[in-house]
Amino acid sequence: MGFHLSITKKLSVRTILMLTSFVLTFTSVKAQDAKVGEGIFKANCTSCHAIDRQVIGPALKDVDKRWADKGLLKKFIVASQEVIKSGDKYAADLFQKYNGTVMPNHNLSDAELDSLLAYIKTEGDKPAEVAAAPAAGAAAGTDGTLVNNYTIGGLILLIVVLLVVMVVLNRVNGSLDRLIRMKNGEALENFVKVVKEKISNFKWMLRNKKKVFWFLLLFMGAFSVWGWDQMWNINVNTGYQPTQPIKFSHEIHAGLNQVNCQYCHSGAFKSKNASIPSANVCMNCHNYVQATEKYNGEISPEIKKIYTALDYNPETRTYGTNTKPIEWIRVHNLPDFAYFNHSQHTTVAGIACQTCHGPVQAMQEVSQFAPLTMVWCINCHKATEVKSKGNAYYDKLLATHEEIKKGKKVTAAMLGGLECVKCHY
Amino acid sequence: MENNTKKYWKGLEELHQSPEFVKNSKNEFAEELPIEELLSESKVNNPTPRRDFLKALGFGMSAVALAACNEAPVKRAIPYLIKPEEITPGIANYYTSNYNGLGVLVKTREGRPIKIEGNPNDPIAKGGTDAVAQASVLDLYDSSRIKNPMMKGADATWENVDKFVKEALATATNVRIVSNTIMSPSTKLVIADFAVKYPSTKHITFDASSYSGMINANNNSFGKAVIPSYNFDKADVIVSFGADFLGTWISPVEYTKQYVQNRNNKSLEAKKMSRHVQFETILSLTGTNADSRYTHKPSQQGLAVLALYNAIASKTGAAAVAGVSVPFEKIINETANELLNAKGKSLVVCGSNDVSVQVAVNAINSLLGNYGTTIDLDNASYQKQGNDAEMIDFVAEMNAGKIDAVIFYNTNPAYNYAKGAEFAEALKKVKTKVSFADRADETALLCDVIAPSTHYLESWDDVSAKRGVYSVVQPTISPVYNARAAQSSLLVWADATLDYFTYIRNNWEKNVYPQASGFAGFSAFWDAALQTGVVTTTAITPQAYSFNNNLSAVAQTIIAASKNAGKIEVVVYESVGVRDGAHANNPWLLEMPDPVSKVTWDNYAAINPKFAEELGIKENTKVDVTVGTAKLSLPVLMQPGQAMGTIGVAMGYGRTNVGKAGNGVGVNAFPFVTLVNGTFQYFNTNATVTATSEAYELAQTQTHHTYEGRDIIREKSLKEYAHPEKHEGHAEGEGHSKENVDLWAAYPRNGHHHWGMAVDLNSCTGCGACVVACSAENNVPVVGRDEVRRRREMHWIRIDRYYTYESAEGKDITQEKEYNNVENYENVKVIHQPLMCQHCDHAPCETVCPVLATMHSSEGLNQMAYNRCVGTRYCANNCPYKVRRFNWFNYWNDDRFVNFLQDDAAYLALNPDVTTRSRGVMEKCSFCAQRIQAGKLSAKIEKRALKDGDVQSACQQGCPANAIVFGDVNDPESEVSKLIKSDRTYFLLEEINVQPGVGYMTKVRNTIEA
Repeated sequence: MGFHLSITKKLSVRTILMLTSFVLTFTSVKAQDAKVGEGIFKANCTSCHAIDRQVIGPALKDVDKRWADKGLLKKFIVASQEVIKSGDKYAADLFQKYNGTVMPNHNLSDAELDSLLAYIKTEGDKPAEVAAAPAAGAAAGTDGTLVNNYTIGGLILLIVVLLVVMVVLNRVNGSLDRLIRMKNGEALENFVKVVKEKISNFKWMLRNKKKVFWFLLLFMGAFSVWGWDQMWNINVNTGYQPTQPIKFSHEIHAGLNQVNCQYCHSGAFKSKNASIPSANVCMNCHNYVQATEKYNGEISPEIKKIYTALDYNPETRTYGTNTKPIEWIRVHNLPDFAYFNHSQHTTVAGIACQTCHGPVQAMQEVSQFAPLTMVWCINCHKATEVKSKGNAYYDKLLATHEEIKKGKKVTAAMLGGLECVKCHY
Repeated sequence: MENNTKKYWKGLEELHQSPEFVKNSKNEFAEELPIEELLSESKVNNPTPRRDFLKALGFGMSAVALAACNEAPVKRAIPYLIKPEEITPGIANYYTSNYNGLGVLVKTREGRPIKIEGNPNDPIAKGGTDAVAQASVLDLYDSSRIKNPMMKGADATWENVDKFVKEALATATNVRIVSNTIMSPSTKLVIADFAVKYPSTKHITFDASSYSGMINANNNSFGKAVIPSYNFDKADVIVSFGADFLGTWISPVEYTKQYVQNRNNKSLEAKKMSRHVQFETILSLTGTNADSRYTHKPSQQGLAVLALYNAIASKTGAAAVAGVSVPFEKIINETANELLNAKGKSLVVCGSNDVSVQVAVNAINSLLGNYGTTIDLDNASYQKQGNDAEMIDFVAEMNAGKIDAVIFYNTNPAYNYAKGAEFAEALKKVKTKVSFADRADETALLCDVIAPSTHYLESWDDVSAKRGVYSVVQPTISPVYNARAAQSSLLVWADATLDYFTYIRNNWEKNVYPQASGFAGFSAFWDAALQTGVVTTTAITPQAYSFNNNLSAVAQTIIAASKNAGKIEVVVYESVGVRDGAHANNPWLLEMPDPVSKVTWDNYAAINPKFAEELGIKENTKVDVTVGTAKLSLPVLMQPGQAMGTIGVAMGYGRTNVGKAGNGVGVNAFPFVTLVNGTFQYFNTNATVTATSEAYELAQTQTHHTYEGRDIIREKSLKEYAHPEKHEGHAEGEGHSKENVDLWAAYPRNGHHHWGMAVDLNSCTGCGACVVACSAENNVPVVGRDEVRRRREMHWIRIDRYYTYESAEGKDITQEKEYNNVENYENVKVIHQPLMCQHCDHAPCETVCPVLATMHSSEGLNQMAYNRCVGTRYCANNCPYKVRRFNWFNYWNDDRFVNFLQDDAAYLALNPDVTTRSRGVMEKCSFCAQRIQAGKLSAKIEKRALKDGDVQSACQQGCPANAIVFGDVNDPESEVSKLIKSDRTYFLLEEINVQPGVGYMTKVRNTIEA
């Protein structure tokens, strides 16, 4: 049922959307302009402007109404300083109001400017509720999938109660059955016989000691193997996926937007630590990227957390002093007695980040991909060839190495990559 | 191999084979297993009831079970909010700075200083450091520093302090600033500016270990009230009268660098070696390195100097002084001849603070033509500027109630003034007392205000240790506590608007920059100064000065002073680790064994064993030593090499208000310092010693790791070395056994690196800088006095000090039975031998480990995997060099031990690249594996071959004498591979064929042979 329902729901939504767009295309020629304008707006304006709220520059809603002369407005977009210098009072006041922040020049044609203004007008005229709809939908979605501890607890309690009821009913049933049979005149021996039959099962066991022994041995063997395996996996946390203080998605950043790993984890290629980016690195983009389109024109609550940490006020674009560091939770933990250096593996050996960290670019939330056990390290050191070509460090080393002269593949292990002091000191 | 007939011994117990010694040397671990102690909750000596044991056992089991079920632990990672541009987590930054005149590089990790290295650009220390500089980083994090400024014993704000002090100063008519030597030109300017605002201000310089006598003598003799620069490298013959110039005297690191230049391998290969004669009372570090050493009582020192003057004067035609006689006239004459043969290339120095004696020394050096060559009065040293007379006047003024306000900077007279109690009384008469001390020390406690000054790693400053040499002190961390640089405070109180950094910069622009050339502008100059750490201006060519005064008056003073000497004389000396006691709360320094006595965590009354026998003093007891009214109860140390009839006591101990580690360690010997003829004298000729029955065991490491008398020392005279053909036996190296029979296949030694080390016994002075450098680099725990007594010190590198006896005629005593007939233990010779893991190719430790926790690497390292170790200690049993150290406790977290890690902030000084070891595992020198790995990695990243010098071990880098050379033996161009092949090189216990990786280079002595 639910399946059908959801399909119809989706279908209906789609139809409505399609219908609306049809209506829009037919009703207004300007709408076409607005689409072009949207592209221009996103490419040029979003760094400093939003439709219905102030960013660096003013909110652009009703901008056409505020400017008496549309030509002057266009001129202002193309070269704001000229308009200000020309002595237009509104322009000058505007410049004053925004602390003399110079709006850069935009080399746009008149047609493009028209489209842009059309887009701003259509967006500005939209009632607020329309934007709110997807947000509400998203909230509902999260509610539907919510399974909390109370639900699980309740279920367990229910199962326990049902089990108890079952046992009690069974007992009642047995007693009643016996009563009926006794009433019908069955002898007591019959009941004894039933019990004896039950006991004879144990006697079977006694008679077939060998079979029981083999069975038990097998069972114990299996248990030991299982136990051994469990022991080896103590503190192996493959799949560990802690909840981070900020719902940061590597999928969006590394996958969708193709941000290079190094951009944020700048230490990975030069240091022991890959390093978690400091908040100022986030701000390189999130100064502007605020994902407002998803949140009803509000700044994304997750991005806001960066602002809170830095005590950054997006309205005034100023930093305060009430800063609070972000406490991330480490996903990949190596014990203190193991020394691991990222640069040795990335810069020197040329190993891709994904080899150890898995397809991070596809991970919504990062989880531990590799087991990070010593045997995992060792196996890789045994199998991986040393990237010695073009690295003068290895020249002398390789020239004198017997195995290499024989043309064998040189693995990290052959150059001492399995020795204790390479990682433990 | 060459058999050495000479007998070497570490201590009297070894020499006499005392029952205790024999017992302990047979047992690998001196004590029974400490299970009881380990489980007891409070004190180390409480036995554990059975129930507690079961409880602990049960708890342990369940804890392990629980831990095994545990989920992944939540570990937080907190990145910077705004990362400083220059910091990359995981990569160290180095900043140039200056510690007390030594140019240093400060290694910081993630913004915290963790290690001090020498700055090779520094023309004074030339990259060398001493133990004190190495340990200075720990003082930064010392939780005994006060956290806030204090007023009348309570925490205060800087505003209140400033208000209070300014008000007090406004009405003060006599202001004094008392400090130790200030080498900072900018600080001196700040004080001058302060004096402009408060015109009654006078600056008094007081050094606990004073060189006032020398400054005055130079003023008398040559009209220059300075300490000269000495050039030990230009001296072929060095004669020292009690000057411990390799250990504590003026600028020991500088002198060590110079001194070994004529004694190291390079010099020896040219068959050249300087000759060093030492006359002294106590056995000093310098004395242990001398080619010839003679002892005398302190009252004889002046006479000895005069006798030498007479001997030289008689040969040069100068006027002799009358009335001088010393018992060792013959030696003095021989020495005079040697000096005269090296005229202009000789040097006579004296540790006395007596003006008269120093004048006589000046006269000798003048006769020898040493001014302008080995002594440079024009490029003077600013390292010691204390003026005893000013200080004495100041105390008198205080007593007279003439002083209104006094400010103490870097000085602690209530503790280290000769009459501390009298000083404290006088101080009460001063209205306003301010201290810049970083802790509530003995003097600061008596003050109204403590305005804590910053540590040198926290603030800007500058240093000029010599004329024409300037360096900048840079802050490498924000102040750990709420402290403010003393200079900033003075500027605030003087109503100056400049901050101290700008002040220094302006001063440099005005005064230093004009002296430099070749810079595009001041900014470029300043940047260069910060980058190289040092700026030198044109040196003045040193002039020859001649001594033209009459010596007779001086001689009369000296002769008069030598009379009336009692039977027992006392010397107060600076110890190499603790010095004058300013850093007495530093556990690294307290645990560093004294280079000569190997005593840790105490000072003591050093006494010649024969003399002790005469006085009926027994070992492991305390004695009462009385000088005038001062009576101190000190533990006895039997010190071979000490002059008969004398007691030696180290200053700097016995602090009462220095902090957790240093409080109550030892006894304060400053009350023994006396005022004679206007200067402080660090000896007294009339002392009494009474034996007591109070038992006291010093924590002495000297026989803790013994070879049972196996032959591991090689020593030669310069003649034997230079002309081996004339002497019996053959050159070193030829004696190496050629044929090695092995049970094991040889490790392949080609292809990979093979790390090795060469230790030059002739360069090593035994100063102990390597010990502290190693502790800092490798997170070696400090275990405290009790644990050292139990032979559980954890140092990865130790310096074995061997005595050998020489008869009065200079002949070696070779037979054991002859020792019973020796007259006294004055004539001992000493050899220092640094010992760390030898990284044997056929290491005995590796074969006995049941869990393979220690094994060999393809690069020649003897590896130690702490996590595999289960603590059987077989390896330590089987190590012929006794270099393995066992963690009997979790020293890092056990509050029963004095450990710096238990300090609130001191764990910040840990090296994050090295694991801290836990209880129950063995540890030892790793050849600084972390540095090897880091060196190789940077070569790999830069795609280049590893160069010699890319990897330096911590001990090598810290050594002021370049005695330790580390590197790749497989690299034929490396220094170490060349040294290993030197004919002086031998390996310890090579006869047992463990194939050690550390080569030792024979000690050579430039002795005069009979």
